[in-house]
Amino acid sequence: MSARIFTRTNPSALKQCLARTGTNSTLARSTRAATAAPCASLFTFRSPLEAPTGKLYEGHIPISPLQRTILAVGSAFTALANPLRGDMVAALGETTSGIFLNRIRDQMLQDPEGRRILRERPVITSETMQLDTLRQLPDGTFGREYVRFLDDQQVSPDTREPVHFVDSEELAYVMQRYRETHDFYHTLTGLPVTVDGEIALKWFEMAQTGLPMTMLSSFFGPLRLSSEERKRLFNVYVPWALENGSTSKLLMNVRWEEWMEKPVEEVQRELGVRPCPQV
Amino acid sequence: MSSLLARAARTGIRSPLSSRLHQPMAAIRFQSTEAKAAATTEEYDVVIVGGGIAGSALACALASNKASSTLKIALIEAFDLSNHIKWSPRPDQYSNRVSSLTPKSVAFLKKIGVWSELDESRVAACEGMQVWDGVSGARITFDAANVDGVQSSFLHQVFSGNVPNPSGVNNTTQETLGNSKEASPLAWMTENLHVQYGLQKQLVGHQARGVKLDVFEKTKVQGITTEQGEAAQLPQGDWPSVRLDNGKTLVTRLLVGADGVNSPVRSFAKIESLGWDYSQFGLVATLQIDPSTSTAPGQGKGIAWQRFLPTGPVAMLPLNNGYASLVWSTTPQIAQDLKKLPARDFCALVNAAFSASPAELEYLYKSIGPDGQPLIDFQKEIEWRTSVHDQEASQTMVRGNSFQGEAKPPRVVDVQENTRAPFPLRMRNSSSYVEDRVVLVGDAAHTVHPLAGQGLNQGLADVECLARVVETSLLSGSDIGNIHSLTPYSSERFLPNLAMLGTVDKLSKLYNTDFGPVVWARSLGLTAVDKMGPIKNEIMRFAMGLEESPNRP
Repeated sequence: MSARIFTRTNPSALKQCLARTGTNSTLARSTRAATAAPCASLFTFRSPLEAPTGKLYEGHIPISPLQRTILAVGSAFTALANPLRGDMVAALGETTSGIFLNRIRDQMLQDPEGRRILRERPVITSETMQLDTLRQLPDGTFGREYVRFLDDQQVSPDTREPVHFVDSEELAYVMQRYRETHDFYHTLTGLPVTVDGEIALKWFEMAQTGLPMTMLSSFFGPLRLSSEERKRLFNVYVPWALENGSTSKLLMNVRWEEWMEKPVEEVQRELGVRPCPQV
Repeated sequence: MSSLLARAARTGIRSPLSSRLHQPMAAIRFQSTEAKAAATTEEYDVVIVGGGIAGSALACALASNKASSTLKIALIEAFDLSNHIKWSPRPDQYSNRVSSLTPKSVAFLKKIGVWSELDESRVAACEGMQVWDGVSGARITFDAANVDGVQSSFLHQVFSGNVPNPSGVNNTTQETLGNSKEASPLAWMTENLHVQYGLQKQLVGHQARGVKLDVFEKTKVQGITTEQGEAAQLPQGDWPSVRLDNGKTLVTRLLVGADGVNSPVRSFAKIESLGWDYSQFGLVATLQIDPSTSTAPGQGKGIAWQRFLPTGPVAMLPLNNGYASLVWSTTPQIAQDLKKLPARDFCALVNAAFSASPAELEYLYKSIGPDGQPLIDFQKEIEWRTSVHDQEASQTMVRGNSFQGEAKPPRVVDVQENTRAPFPLRMRNSSSYVEDRVVLVGDAAHTVHPLAGQGLNQGLADVECLARVVETSLLSGSDIGNIHSLTPYSSERFLPNLAMLGTVDKLSKLYNTDFGPVVWARSLGLTAVDKMGPIKNEIMRFAMGLEESPNRP
């Protein structure tokens, strides 16, 4: 079972889904003209039928609050029924991420490294990461282990689902960065790419950011586990995640690209993360 | 017999008989003390301790009033008051202590002849007010043009009781506002020193026309006592006597405490002061603003800006000639850091305080070194964040409508040297404003958070009321120092002051958090009120002092 599902997909499925929920509806547009004048400044009560913004970035799909609700509910059910629908998982994350992303961005703004990331907006692709160079690194370095992980899972950094539904250019980048750095978390923690491993990572993030959004998957994810997996999750992974998540440096503020040549142990030490117990 | 009388005197019972019987004793006492004390003891009708705005305004009000101008009045001030008369400011310099005077306060200052002494070019009319939530961006806009004329209304009934036919000051208020269609400004901004200048000018004028008004400046009060035991039965026996450091002792029928938060008069009267310290400091400063970014609607008429941050509200009040006054309430640590910051970085930070998100500000506060030097390039960091915000705002469509309508505060370009000063913020209310022969006004009676700019206005309202109460007692022939004569003052001022203190305190607490549900609820409330004209109108009138109609006897 692959955890790539969390974010890797084909975009066409999304488009279909959106067509169903009525994106680009002419209704929304015609209402905008009529309602904008009295409602515009009353943003707390803005019309649920109009998209609040225009297209803000490449890949952005502006949707109205009503569409957002339908998409969130629909994607939640689809994702629960079939976790392999990565597009739905991604859509669920984006449609429910408002406060989450804002808080992550605020936490990044508190940290010099986080600010540097927001300012320079580094992107992680196979090109920028120069995977072939990383393969030449000695065993035990962070870069070498990272590539080994990618090769084992037969994935590349390029297969991430782009961000569509976040109505802010900067927050869309935060979301994108959050997805792009996910593989580093596995290398850092040694958590396996299994459903319980992914859920353990969510617990880790919850302890780290203190944000309720990550709780959702922390609490509902285990519903799909076998009893043995659940036992491993709650006896081994969760205690580890809570302890390490609350003491380590905020991983969104780490410029992973610059840590490739360091040994994994040193990276773990500097970030304050003990490797996860192997079962 | 005499022991019985002594007991009667102790318990406060007085009969004509007892005072007659003791007349000879009084004479003896005077003879015995005259030799050493007569030259230094003087009797007054009113002794005002504290020559600040409240104290001086009271002296002025009493002296300008026909009935009370016959009183013998003393005004005691520890600092040099004559300096205020020599006050001759440069047009490009403003003192950092600026107050907003409500139409009610201005009407009172006009009535006592102070307003006409002021230099118009140093009084800035505030035509509008923009108040917004730094966490959510919810905003409320006040515009002087929307305030109705003076009439009885809802809040007025809640806070002052229904008075059908207001007269006196409110008539003057009406005149001030001009019964014409033209709207009055919401408030007038001017330096406290400027008001003091006007007051001292008037006081000198009153002295010149023969009012028995003695000003003891550069004089400290060493102690306040009342006669005890036998002596207390004398005609002036229960009068407070104020011992000054110049050797004089003033015995007074009525002692007025206008001596600030730590009022010695209040301690003497054993009146408790209740309240708490906010864990906040206010930082004041005089700012120079970029005139091209100023959104003043008319000539010399400005807008007051206030943004609520989780650390406290930051406000910019308009002055003339491209200047503005800053009041930034924040944590004690940040206030100290802001004071030490180089001017260039301070200005950048003030600009950020009116635009950046609380998280961004937090980072900037943290980046001030222990020596007050910034650890990062403030301007570069702030410019970057501003460009991110601007870019997003420019592409936001529906919200754009409201964003375009939202005026931005003017850009700060410089801060006047040596005007940055932090002071602690407190809330206090005295358990009572009057005691027999003692009365408290202004800060001595109550202290309020500066976020609504009401402290001085409350003090002036106290003074206006007290002067009126004293006049009433004089006209009815009662003793002005008697607690029964003073009670109307207390009953008229206590509740409105308490209501204002409570409102301001709740506001400060409501906005002192970034907790999600609270932010959501308060933003919803603020936006709703902003849309409800009549309610907003009531709030404005409350803040402008148009709501309080004094209960006249």
